[in-house]
Amino acid sequence: MPPLMGIEFLCRVADVLSEYLGGLNEDVIKDNFVIVYELLDEMIDNGFPLTTEPNILREMIAPPNIVSKVLSVVTGNSSNVSDTLPGATGSCVPWRAADPKYANNEVYVDLVEEMDAVINRDGVLVKCEIYGEVQVNSHLSGLPDLTLSFANPSILDDVRFHPCVRFRPWESHQLLSFVPPDGEFKLMSYRVKKLKSTPIYVKPQLTSDAGKCRVNVLVGIKNDPGKTIDSITLQFQLPPCILSADLTSNHGTVNILSNKICSWSIGRIPKDKAPSLTGTLVLETELERLHVFPTFRVGFRIMGVALSGLQIDKLDLKTVPNRLYKGFRALTRAGEFEVRS
Amino acid sequence: MAPPAQSQRSPSPSQPSGKSEVSDLKLQLRQLAGSRAPGVDDSKRELFKKVISYMTVGIDVSSLFGEMVMCSATSDIVLKKMCYLYVGNYAKVNPDLALLTINFLQRDCNDEDPMIRGLALRSLCSLRVANFVEYLVGPLGSGLKDSNSYVRMVAVIGVLKLYHISASTCVDADFPSILKHLMLNDSDTQVVANCLSALQEIWSAEASTSEEASREREALISKPVIYYLLNRIREFSEWAQCLVLELVTKYVPSDSSEIFDIMNLLEDRLQHANGAVVLATIKVFLHLTLSMTDVHQQVYERIKAPLLTLVSSGSPEQSYAVLSHLHLLVMRAPYIFSSDYKHFYCQYNEPSYVKRLKLEMLTAVANESNTYEIVTELCEYAANVDIPIARESIRAVGKIALQQYDVNAIVDRLLQFLEMEKDYVTAEALVLVKDLLRKYPQWSHDCIAVVGNISSKNVQEPKAKAALIWMLGEYSQDMQDAPYILESLVENWDEEHSAEVRLHLLTAVMKCFFKRPPETQNALGTALAAGIADFHQDVHDRALFYYRILQYNVSVAERVVNPPKQAVSVFADTQSSEIKDRIFDEFNSLSVVYQKPSYMFTDKEHRGPFEFSDELGNLSIGGEAADNVVSAQRVEENDKDLLLTTSEKEETRGSSNNGSAYTAPYDGSSTSVFALQTHIESAISNPTAADHSPQASLAIDDLLGLGLPAAPAPPSPQLKLNTTAALDPSTFQHKWRQLPVALSQEYSVSPQGVAALTAPQALLRHMQSHSIHCIASGGQSPNFKFFFFAQKAEEASNYLVECIISTSSAKAQIKIKADDQSTSQAFSTLFQSALSKFGIP
Repeated sequence: MPPLMGIEFLCRVADVLSEYLGGLNEDVIKDNFVIVYELLDEMIDNGFPLTTEPNILREMIAPPNIVSKVLSVVTGNSSNVSDTLPGATGSCVPWRAADPKYANNEVYVDLVEEMDAVINRDGVLVKCEIYGEVQVNSHLSGLPDLTLSFANPSILDDVRFHPCVRFRPWESHQLLSFVPPDGEFKLMSYRVKKLKSTPIYVKPQLTSDAGKCRVNVLVGIKNDPGKTIDSITLQFQLPPCILSADLTSNHGTVNILSNKICSWSIGRIPKDKAPSLTGTLVLETELERLHVFPTFRVGFRIMGVALSGLQIDKLDLKTVPNRLYKGFRALTRAGEFEVRS
Repeated sequence: MAPPAQSQRSPSPSQPSGKSEVSDLKLQLRQLAGSRAPGVDDSKRELFKKVISYMTVGIDVSSLFGEMVMCSATSDIVLKKMCYLYVGNYAKVNPDLALLTINFLQRDCNDEDPMIRGLALRSLCSLRVANFVEYLVGPLGSGLKDSNSYVRMVAVIGVLKLYHISASTCVDADFPSILKHLMLNDSDTQVVANCLSALQEIWSAEASTSEEASREREALISKPVIYYLLNRIREFSEWAQCLVLELVTKYVPSDSSEIFDIMNLLEDRLQHANGAVVLATIKVFLHLTLSMTDVHQQVYERIKAPLLTLVSSGSPEQSYAVLSHLHLLVMRAPYIFSSDYKHFYCQYNEPSYVKRLKLEMLTAVANESNTYEIVTELCEYAANVDIPIARESIRAVGKIALQQYDVNAIVDRLLQFLEMEKDYVTAEALVLVKDLLRKYPQWSHDCIAVVGNISSKNVQEPKAKAALIWMLGEYSQDMQDAPYILESLVENWDEEHSAEVRLHLLTAVMKCFFKRPPETQNALGTALAAGIADFHQDVHDRALFYYRILQYNVSVAERVVNPPKQAVSVFADTQSSEIKDRIFDEFNSLSVVYQKPSYMFTDKEHRGPFEFSDELGNLSIGGEAADNVVSAQRVEENDKDLLLTTSEKEETRGSSNNGSAYTAPYDGSSTSVFALQTHIESAISNPTAADHSPQASLAIDDLLGLGLPAAPAPPSPQLKLNTTAALDPSTFQHKWRQLPVALSQEYSVSPQGVAALTAPQALLRHMQSHSIHCIASGGQSPNFKFFFFAQKAEEASNYLVECIISTSSAKAQIKIKADDQSTSQAFSTLFQSALSKFGIP
């Protein structure tokens, strides 16, 4: 039994269920036993995974949403399953439902990047990587054939594609040529490694003696990405040997949660001052100095910029339908961004 | 999205209510059963939902069976689905009532709607009641020929279900060959994939009893089938791709251009979004190139990036599984990830099982160039909030120190740990410093200076305390206070709960005594007295031993306790390389995650469909004629194979792959079956066996040779072997380890024998006819390895044989071990004569 097959399949089941039921927890499942059974029935038989493409499943088994309920009341047709078999099971493009029709043809491409970084005790950037995804939301009639190109594909280190992407054009010209599934999907994911800098800096200082520990954390913009850095947060776990903490900041709010997690939400960095967090921690009685140092986890969001520098060049359709709208967006947020102290 | 409104009306299914609810439902269902009023489907649906949710939470609603079946006459597909589900769940316990459902299921199998046809067929096959198999054959047969692929897909799996209920019915209806036809001709890839998985399962189960099935199973990995599947691989669903790729790993391409073709075809699979496909592809690549060393290296380079991406994206469970595979690879080729060590840095909020593996990875990839960075990183973890991980990381630093030559910087770090004043850090570091000193005695001065400052009162953990005491004893001449520290420890003898520490203390005091007698004499006396009075047997014995040896001769005692020591160069490895090779053969399976080969955690009946040893116990001599055809075919293929790549294979397989594919030993139960069968078979085929081996038949009249245990081994044919010998694998292993090698010889194998030896089982069958049984076998052309055993006819005296045959050099190397050494020469002759007849018809 290949382990990843099991894990991937379970993840897929979880994804599909939460998409259908709008969440995944015990109560939701209890309320929707029948849908869950129906889905599992189609997804696996006798231990072999069968249909797991959400688009096709949706054609076989209608999700229990309000629309279908209203529809069933109006039409009197109470079945929540289509009468016909999905055509795509036989088609050569298994991820695409047969022939959808839209009055407005739209396709949106989002670059979503997550920055993973580790900054060590001496403030050295140990590791900085970007994990990015190209997410596409397509509402196009018929069987559209799209080509997406990047301005600088050479910076990508490793790429993984949705099954719809054709391999040869990428291999020869770094072009993404594909027939998209209908709706939202992840076209491609990539990694860019060995980045040299981070957009913000976090400088923690902890000095301790005589049973007390002075904390001072500074946060500021290091390399201005050109757009506003938003929703900056800082979280760290207080070591168990700390009895009490008194922390204040000159910007944003500081909360110490019950499980000794200290969370400082900064939001945007003001122009006039650098946000800082200061305070003292009181150690357990017999301890002189602090030996366990917390790791600060940083969160932020930058709209409109892909920090890896990846840029979309253009998106072409082979047959251009009337009234086509194409949209592009980029977003970078912090993934596993840690600063050790 | 709001939960459906119905759930608010129905009572919460999580609170099981009593019988009244069930009988209430029964009544309502009965009322609805006959009704044809409009809207009746809706109310039925409500009731069915209740029934299903009761069933799921564990309330027994089987009493509603009759009513449910009555209500099942409906055209509503959701109602049907619920009804099928209900019937499927309770049919097993209610076979009589389930008979009622057969009718409507069979009718539904002929419905116009393919969806209903498929569902009905699936439910019909899922009833799993043995009495119903006769009702299954018809619908399955028409299902397989259905015009809609959905129905065919369901029917194929249905065949497999039927096989598990009643294998004979399935085979008699000729379903396997229909599946084979479908697999090779159907336009729908999911049907093809289902056929493939069903056939794999059926044929490997059948292979044990039928030659034809095992031939069919071989045919699955033949060139046309593999190429047919590979050419369509992009059309398959991601799961089916995994299946096909797994099959491809078993295919042996005839030459290197074929290998490159396959790899080119599959290269884009490495960029698939599904990690399972990626890993399966990697397995194909690694296995295809095993014999081509330089290409194998390129493969490592190529798979690096996808693997690292899999580690850093996805769920922690996925990371764990992939990291286990990386760890395996790194063990085989440590350099591949040495520049990517940063990928194995731990993230703060990863689960500790992932962190632990990452630490192992960091240890494994460390080399001269990256050690400094890795150790710096590991030191940061030592101050981690997560204490087990902090400990692990200190241990990792130690391990790196032990495998490096340039340990300068690392020793400094370890000494810093000692000064960190955290008890667990100190404890771990002490143990490491001890190991380090055993390997690099030249560092003793630096270490001892620091260790001397550690107060033994701060060290509580037995292992660490033992390490500290060991150092106190070993380096007492360099440590001013050593005798006094030891003395105070001896004074607190009774408070020391760990026997290990007390043992170390005794030895340390002894060592110290020989180096600094006047200062230690008192402590030694106290320690010996306390030791002799100790309730722990080992401590008591050691104290007594020291006491007596001191009494006997002090200089002898010194030589015993304080001999000049050699630095330990390599610490023992926990896993043998053979086991590691086996795990590598099972790449992309749970074996890698568990770090154990599959036979250590699976039952025999669940082993992989292509495990050759499975069929060994069931060889029939009668089937030999049929088998010869197969082997002849395979000889042809093999010849081609040999012509093209002999030299390469010899070199690489011989070193890297030989002996790695041992098939698993039998478990006890199968051995007994096996023995029984051979007994019967040999009874039937005795005349032929006698023809084949004059020695064996001669021995029937001559029992004299056995009566003389001291018979000096003349090459005598008097040895008679037990045709029904049985030995379970653990006994075999045990004996193999215990017994000395009685004989080690090299025979040459006849050209006919070489030609016939295309697969291990050919030889096994032959040897078995000479009453020499195989317990494990493995290898691929040109190198095979076998473990045989045989038993004397009259007494339980065993012969164990390890036989390595290389078809390229036509040599067989043989090691014989025997319970009764004196007859091993006779056995060797017997063995050789049996072997020499191999391949001669």
